[in-house]
Parts: sequence; structure tokens; C-alpha cells
Amino acid sequence: MMKKLCIFSVLFFTVMVSTALAEVELTYWTHEDPNRTEIENRYIKEFEMANPGVKVNRVTSPSGKIAEKVLTAFAANRGPDIFNMEIEQEYAYIVNRRLAPIDFKAIGYPSDKAIYDAYLPRVLDPATFEGKLYGLPLELTNWCIYVNDRIFKAVGLDPAKDYPKTWEEMVTVSEKIVIREGQIIKRRGFDFRYPYYLVSMVPMVEQLGGKLISDDGKKAIINDPAWIKFLTFMKEWGPNGKNLGSPTYTPARSLFNKDKNDIAMCESGLYQEGRIRKDNPEFYNSKEWRVIPYPVFKSAVKNVAGNYYGHYLVVNASKPKENQQMAWKLIGHMLSHPEEYLSKVGLIQPTLKLMKSDTFKAMPYANVFKEDMERGHIVYYGENSAKIQECIREAVESVMLAGASPEQALEKLKRRAQEALEEK
Amino acid sequence: MISDGDRDGTAAHPCLLFQAKREMKKRIFSRGIEHKKARWGWIFIIPSLVFFSLFSFYPILNALYTSLFKKKLLSLAPPQFIGLDNYAYLLQSPEFWNSIRATVVFTLGTFVPILVFSLLFALFIMSRKRFQKFFQMAYYSPAVLSSVVVAAIWLLMLDPRGLANQWVNFILNTPGIDHKWLANSTMVQISTMMVYFWKYVGYFTIIFLVGLGSIPNSVHEAARIDGASGRTDFWYITLPLLKPTTVLVSIMSMLQCLKTFSTQYLFTQGGAPMEPINVITLNLYHTTIRDRSIGLASAMSIILFCMMLFFTWLQFKTFKSEEVDY
Repeated sequence: MMKKLCIFSVLFFTVMVSTALAEVELTYWTHEDPNRTEIENRYIKEFEMANPGVKVNRVTSPSGKIAEKVLTAFAANRGPDIFNMEIEQEYAYIVNRRLAPIDFKAIGYPSDKAIYDAYLPRVLDPATFEGKLYGLPLELTNWCIYVNDRIFKAVGLDPAKDYPKTWEEMVTVSEKIVIREGQIIKRRGFDFRYPYYLVSMVPMVEQLGGKLISDDGKKAIINDPAWIKFLTFMKEWGPNGKNLGSPTYTPARSLFNKDKNDIAMCESGLYQEGRIRKDNPEFYNSKEWRVIPYPVFKSAVKNVAGNYYGHYLVVNASKPKENQQMAWKLIGHMLSHPEEYLSKVGLIQPTLKLMKSDTFKAMPYANVFKEDMERGHIVYYGENSAKIQECIREAVESVMLAGASPEQALEKLKRRAQEALEEK
Repeated sequence: MISDGDRDGTAAHPCLLFQAKREMKKRIFSRGIEHKKARWGWIFIIPSLVFFSLFSFYPILNALYTSLFKKKLLSLAPPQFIGLDNYAYLLQSPEFWNSIRATVVFTLGTFVPILVFSLLFALFIMSRKRFQKFFQMAYYSPAVLSSVVVAAIWLLMLDPRGLANQWVNFILNTPGIDHKWLANSTMVQISTMMVYFWKYVGYFTIIFLVGLGSIPNSVHEAARIDGASGRTDFWYITLPLLKPTTVLVSIMSMLQCLKTFSTQYLFTQGGAPMEPINVITLNLYHTTIRDRSIGLASAMSIILFCMMLFFTWLQFKTFKSEEVDY
């Protein structure tokens, strides 16, 4: 009897001890960004040391692949504890109740309201649904135009004065810079970031008085003349028009950092500065580059800059409560270093404190981004925003590459975008 | 086995009854060598049956079932039964008909040249007295590369500043012409066909080589003794005897073409226009991943499956005549 009691006691003790020491394993999926990996790995190490028994597994994927990966995992109920994506992608997870609301205590705030108070007005709106907050911004990004001064000077332009302020000037300046060998472009003046139509091209339509979605949210593609004007501009830009650029050339942003006389201007966010510094320190330190505001059409009826978009850190609602709490705690720990995120990675975590900090003011061209952000707005996000973006892509491609007329492309765009909007 | 005693209503001896039962069992379970062979046959095919049931038949049935529902990938709400509505929607959708067009154009534009050229390349290799192995290796090597790698290599070559424009302009002496390999609706379709042709022609060449090798030399020798020329030998001896291989290659290459995905996917990621090359599999991928409509995507996959079944049946029917016998 005594023997049995002893065995039972030992077993009971072992189970209790192992339960107490049981690890909470958190999986964090994020997109690749070497500069961010460096600092986040350090934050994770610190967090693991401060919370014994917690293990964090940080997994990175190419930014173009992460949406597919997360969706597939969620479909199989194997999603990570924490992930981040663009809000246009994440919003569907919020409305389908796949994400856990914020645990303000775990993050280190006294209340939900305190979180809203800490951030710039409206920046948490995209992650708010039915009065609850579901995510915090890892980065809020808007794109301005990066200029290579060396190329400007080489064609006799003064980058400080002659930089394009309007889209019409963008065409004229690009025509001065472009080098072609027959029909093949050897050097481009500027080119768009083609896959990101909602961020970079919808504001061009808005400048002309158009809209993507009506104010009541029921109708897609508002103001035909504005859309026609925009599509005509894109047709002229492409290989069948003035031949200044095309989606089939190497993306402008990938070439810009190299400073190999391939491209004079590209669209990108503040984070590009960190990437230039890492990829090409000589070019970065030469100060032969600058950032200029997002251009506006001469005939613009509205002064709108490029849309900003956010990557929000969110937590999987299907994970145990203990994991959710730890996940929010980790997010709180990571986001408590906004100045380092800004200075080392170039990411803006839009807290009031950061925007007023010396670190922000010391970032080269931070004011250009800030002013553009003030005259822009958050990108369109909805359950079907990815599909609507695809519809715009098809319209732009059809006029630029397939020889369709802007009117034909618009007809199709209106039908498809409306269908996407109405789809539940 | 019923004994006379039973018929008479009298009970048979228990020992006799037991023996009779054993006899019956023996007869059922051991009907000679054929039966034993069949039993071993079943044992051997059971693993593959289990494998196919799990990884092919079950997904097909599951897709068929899912295609009858309105189901969104992220939604926690139970799927809504809508019968054949997904099929009705697809058959009325201009985008889906464009996908069928793109798939059919790609399949015809790729599998016919693959069939013809793989046979020609196989004949060329067979006719070589030296370097046969080298040619086999050279033709086959693209087939070992993954489709994604192949598409990525070609994407670089087809860039306006890439090798494709340089080579073609050098050969045609047309400096500075952009052939718009990825930018023009027709050219982008031809480009996808070219990539696929390049990747798979070697693979099917090897299959034809095996087929050609299996035709006994004595048949050719007999034809030559009877005065047949090389061309006559090919048309009246080689080609008819190669029919089983031709059927195999044509069905395999056609199915491969109908399932094409990675080339079109990577090309559209690289900036090529979507519409001309939006094959069914690419449309299916976007419907699942971008639109999260798994019910609609399942209906698409069932339609693709039916198309594949139909064309395979059609080919079997077209080629089915007399059996090949040496």
C-alpha cells in the first residue's frame, strides 16, 4: 500500500512540476525585412529571458507570399499565434472573427482608450471592428518619390528645382531622362509600383475627382471622366504610348538602390532609406538622392497624396487564452521600441510620442513623408479589396499592354469591381 | 452442398456435414493458379489503391461535394448549400470562358508541337551513330528543373532588356526592336507555350526513344529487303508500330498542358498581363487565395477534371482501331 502511495505521489509531483514548467510556444509569422529581423530577434530574446517558459518562433516569408501562407494555415486551423500583413489583407480576418481583440493589460496600457490616445487620430480605425480593437500597427507607410540626383544632373536638370511637381511634369522630366535603344528602354526616368494599384494609383484618380467606392459603400468606380483621364494617362505612359515604362521591366524600386544608371525616380516608403544604406552605403552617404512629394495632376480638383497602408500585428483567436495573452505581451514589448524601429528599419509606428520625437525629426526627409501622410488617407480596405485591386490591375494592363481603349477598360472595370463589392 | 438425407428430412451425420463444408470452402478459396495470382495481384495493388483513394479519389469527391456549397475560406459560418449555382455562375461568367479559351489555346499550341517535335527529335537521336547519350541528356535536362525555376529563368530572358530580344534582333538584324514577349497579348501566350515546349519536349523525346527502341529491327530489315525506302519505312512501319507510344505521349502531354500553372503564375507576377494567360488553374488559384471562395474554386476544378476526362476519352477513341502486333 505504502509502495503504491509513493509511486502515486512521485507521479503526481512529476505531472505538477512539468505542468508548471510547460512552455508556451508562440509562432510569429512576418514578412522578410533584414533590418527588422536584426532588432526583432533581439526583442524576442529579451522577452524569452523575462518570461521563462515562453518560446517564440519567428518565421519570415517573402512579402508577396505571406498572404497565401497565412490563409492556407488558417483554412486548416493551423494559423500562427501572431502575424502581420497589409490591412487590405488582414481586414477579412477581422470581420470573419479569426482574430483576438487586444488585451490592453498584457500590452501595458491601462485601458483600450489609452491605446487610442497614444496613437495618431484615425490610424487604429482600420483595425477597429464593432467597437473592438484587433491590432496595432507594426508600420504605417506612405510612398513618396525617391530621386537620384546624379541622373538628374547628368541630363542638365537641377534636382532641387526641376523635380516633377505634377504628373504632367513627371512625363516631361522622364522624357528628358529616358534612354532607349530603339524601342527598348535602357534607362527610365520614373516608373510606378505596378502590383500596388490601391496604394499608388487610386490617389491619382481621386486627384481628378474620381473615387473607388461611393461614400455609402454601395457603388464602385465613381466619376467616369476621372477614371478615363487616369487610364488615358497610363496608356500614354506605357509601351504603346510614350514608352516611358511598363510592368514588364524590372521593378523600379529594386533598381534604384543600385545606382547603376537604370532609373532616376521610384516610389517607396521611409523604410527605403534603411535599405539604400544597407544595399549601397556609398550611394546613401553621397547624399546624391532625395525624397520629393507625391505629384498632383495640373488639372487636379483635389490635392491628394499617395494612400498610406498599415501592417498591423494581430493575434489568432483560435489559440488558447494563455497564448493570446503572451502574444499580446510580446507585441507590447516589441512595439515599445518605436524609435529603434524608425532609426534602424525606417518604419513609422504612428504614436504621438514618436511623431514628436527628435529621432523622427532627425530622419532624412521625414517631414516630406509626414506632410504627404497628412494630405493622404488610409488605403481602401474591405473584405474584397484584393479582388478590387486585381480589377484595377486588369484595367491598367489592358490599356498599357493589350491595346484596349480607356472606355473599354473602364466598362469592364466597373462591372467587375461592382461584382466584387456586392459579393458576400 | 445439400445431402440426400436433408432432402428426405433426415439429419446427416455431423462428421459428413463438416467434411462437406470444408470441401466447399476449399473449392471457393483455391480455384487453381489463376485465383492465387489474382489474390497476389490484389495484395500488390492495395497500397496504391489506398494511396490513390487518399490523395486522389477523396480530394475529387470532396471537391465535388464542396462545389455544391457557398463556402468562404475564412468564414466560421457553416457552408450554405446552393446546389449547382456555382456551376451556373461559372458558365455565365465571361472571365471563366476566357480561362477556358486561354487553357484550350495553350493546350493546342503546346501539346501538338510537343508531340510532333518530340517524335522528330527521337528519330534524329535514333539516326545518330555517335553522341546518342549526349543528345538524350541535352534534350532531357530541362525536364529535371522545377517549373518555377524554368519560369524564373525565362522571365529574365524575356525581360525587354533580356537575352530573348538580343538574340532575335541579332538573328533578324533588327536592332532595338522590342518583341514584347510579356507585354503583348499574343506574344505572352506564345511565350508561355515556348517555355512549356522547352521544358517538356525532351521528356517526351525519351518516351518516343523507348517506343522506337522496342520495334524489332527485323521488321525494318524485312521492309528494306522488300524494297521500302526510308520514308516508306517510317510511314508504313515505324509510325503504325509506334501508335501505343504516340497515344501515351499525346495523352500525357495534353493532360500536362491542361494543368499548366506555374509559368502563367510567375509571368503574371513578373508584370505580364493576366487576361491572355489566365488559364483555368490560375483562375482557380486566384478564386481560392485572393477571393477565398473555395466552393466556386471547387466547381472550377471539377469542370477542369471533366474536360481532362473528356479529352482523354476522345483521344482513346480517336486512336482506337486495330491493336499493334509485331
